[in-house]
Amino acid sequence: MSEQTPPPERAAESPAPQPETQAPPQQQRANGGRDGVILEVTDIHTYYGSIHALKGISLQVREGEIVTLIGANGAGKSTTLRSINGLNNPRKGRIVFQGKDITNDPAHSIVKMGISQSPEGRRLFPHMSVLENLEMGAFQRTDRQNFKEDLDRVYALFPRLAERKTQRAGTLSGGEQQMVAMGRALMARPKLVMLDEPSMGLAPIFVERIFEIVKEINQQGTPILLVEQNAMMALDVAHRGYVMETGHIALTDDAKALAKNEQVQKAYLGMD
Amino acid sequence: MERVKGRSGMGAAGRGWNQLPERARTLIPATILILLAVLYPWYHENWLAEFTNVPVIINFPSVSTAVIVIVFVIMAVGLNIVVGYAGLLDLGYVAFYAVGAYTAGWLASGHFQQVSFHFGSAGISRDLNGIHVNVWIVLLAAGLLTALAGIIIGLPTLRLRGDYLAIVTLGFGEIVPVFVRNGDNLGGFNLTAGTFGINPIDSPGFGEGLNGAWGGLPVNFQQSFIREKLFFYAALALLLITLFCSVRLRESRLGRAWIAIREDETAAAAMGIPLMRTKTWAYALGAFFGGIAGAYYASFKSGAFPSEFYFNISVFLLCMVVLGGMGSVWGVVTAGSILAWLNVEGLANIGTYLKRQTPLDFEVAKYQFGIYGVIIVLMMLFRPTGLIPERRRKLEMEEGVQDESVYGASR
Repeated sequence: MSEQTPPPERAAESPAPQPETQAPPQQQRANGGRDGVILEVTDIHTYYGSIHALKGISLQVREGEIVTLIGANGAGKSTTLRSINGLNNPRKGRIVFQGKDITNDPAHSIVKMGISQSPEGRRLFPHMSVLENLEMGAFQRTDRQNFKEDLDRVYALFPRLAERKTQRAGTLSGGEQQMVAMGRALMARPKLVMLDEPSMGLAPIFVERIFEIVKEINQQGTPILLVEQNAMMALDVAHRGYVMETGHIALTDDAKALAKNEQVQKAYLGMD
Repeated sequence: MERVKGRSGMGAAGRGWNQLPERARTLIPATILILLAVLYPWYHENWLAEFTNVPVIINFPSVSTAVIVIVFVIMAVGLNIVVGYAGLLDLGYVAFYAVGAYTAGWLASGHFQQVSFHFGSAGISRDLNGIHVNVWIVLLAAGLLTALAGIIIGLPTLRLRGDYLAIVTLGFGEIVPVFVRNGDNLGGFNLTAGTFGINPIDSPGFGEGLNGAWGGLPVNFQQSFIREKLFFYAALALLLITLFCSVRLRESRLGRAWIAIREDETAAAAMGIPLMRTKTWAYALGAFFGGIAGAYYASFKSGAFPSEFYFNISVFLLCMVVLGGMGSVWGVVTAGSILAWLNVEGLANIGTYLKRQTPLDFEVAKYQFGIYGVIIVLMMLFRPTGLIPERRRKLEMEEGVQDESVYGASR
């Protein structure tokens, strides 16, 4: 990843103003399973070669929720996302999305079903422009007429991207790159968005802005599965959370409760 | 277009040029080049052919040399789809050339003596045995069959990445000539005529109606007095079609997917690009043009021989792509023309010239692959992005790309 440091004045700018106009209010989609469960992961085991990375992970995401997955480096958070999106299919266990088994589906058909993501390390196409990156996000869609509408929605969320749409993605600052990655994920018109460490390597002012946008995307009706190392911020925006430790789920609870949990406070929030 | 600006010593003309819309700046040079190419047989005959003692190159390439050059350029443009657009290193492209050439051999020659099948064949006596399909149809069939071969080779290999893919394609490039050489007795069936090769192969043509040739079009290229010219124009038409398809493909949705895979395979997969299908398309389309060129060349030479399908052809074509600038259609055409000409007669001519003018006494043509090697090394040192680099590819060469295998990690 070639990340250039932003010019100082750009980083110091205040976050872009909140867009007034928002996409139409969320409609409760009725296509989820019981209790509005949209994604159900049951006891998955994923391997990298012979390394047993996930040792039985189960989690759920319901309609309208932000669910966060927190834990230390190497706990298996990103691997969990890679298992769900088909980049590393699990060897055992079951992943059901909107009532359909997607455990062994390839990545492209999972995107087509409505799970899109902002991958770890953002993974933009650095030599494409911002607009081209956003177009790649809508790659698997065939409804070209809605493309403009979605583009406007992304630009409303991230006004800065509209200003920089012809700029090469590789030359953006880290925060702007994260915006492109999130915008790109939204261009797929997802039914579930997975964000992998959106705050990684960003200036504090950008981190706050990114989490505000996460909330906003959710309020517009999209459930979010959020992987974060910044546990405090993540638990602040999320409804529920899962704490991962070396391939297991160690704890799960409401986000508020987790934030108050002594163990969590000690291990992840840096409190005594 | 920055480079043009840099040379603005040209003054007003240069500035006016930069103000033209982008489309015009591409179309005007392209039109001039196409015109120069189309008129080549005419001004070669009336003007260039008179020079028989040109410094260094001795004489200008004949029309028949130009046909071979064009055929190789078509193959290079096809390979550019695989290597340049999709970023898949293919060291066995000669296999596609061979499949194309042998398809022409099977469908338009007397090779299968046991049958007599004529379909729209132009200027071929009905009494001749063998399969004689109209060569234009054969070209298309060769393209399709080669594309199929590309898919068959691609399906097991395209899960591999980078060097591994190169090695496997290298293997396939070796298997095909060996198969062809030993294909004269497949359980008693003579498929490829072994080391003898298949010849003669029919020539293209437009055939005859009840009232003689259609609208004055040549009945059969081989029997015409202007055989070379006819082959030249048909080759040029094929090249233009290839170029058109190649440029359009790059701008298409598929082309964008290739670039995405080239830049970051994992991210491409995460965007919903079906990796296998997209890469296989690159293989199939690249192979398609290789097959057409192979079939056309076989028809031009009137034969398909296993001795032509060696590894060095694959490398030679790859040199054209690398030298021209991976992904850059115009660069590949330029480098392909130069290298193919050097290979056909340029080096020999230069050698003759050196012998005449200097006391040095050695055959330059003997050292051809050494010379290409030196050219490649020098290019990599001084201009690694190629003669006419593609904008995006140039940035990638300078800044690097994400390259990580998606497959094989979990099982």
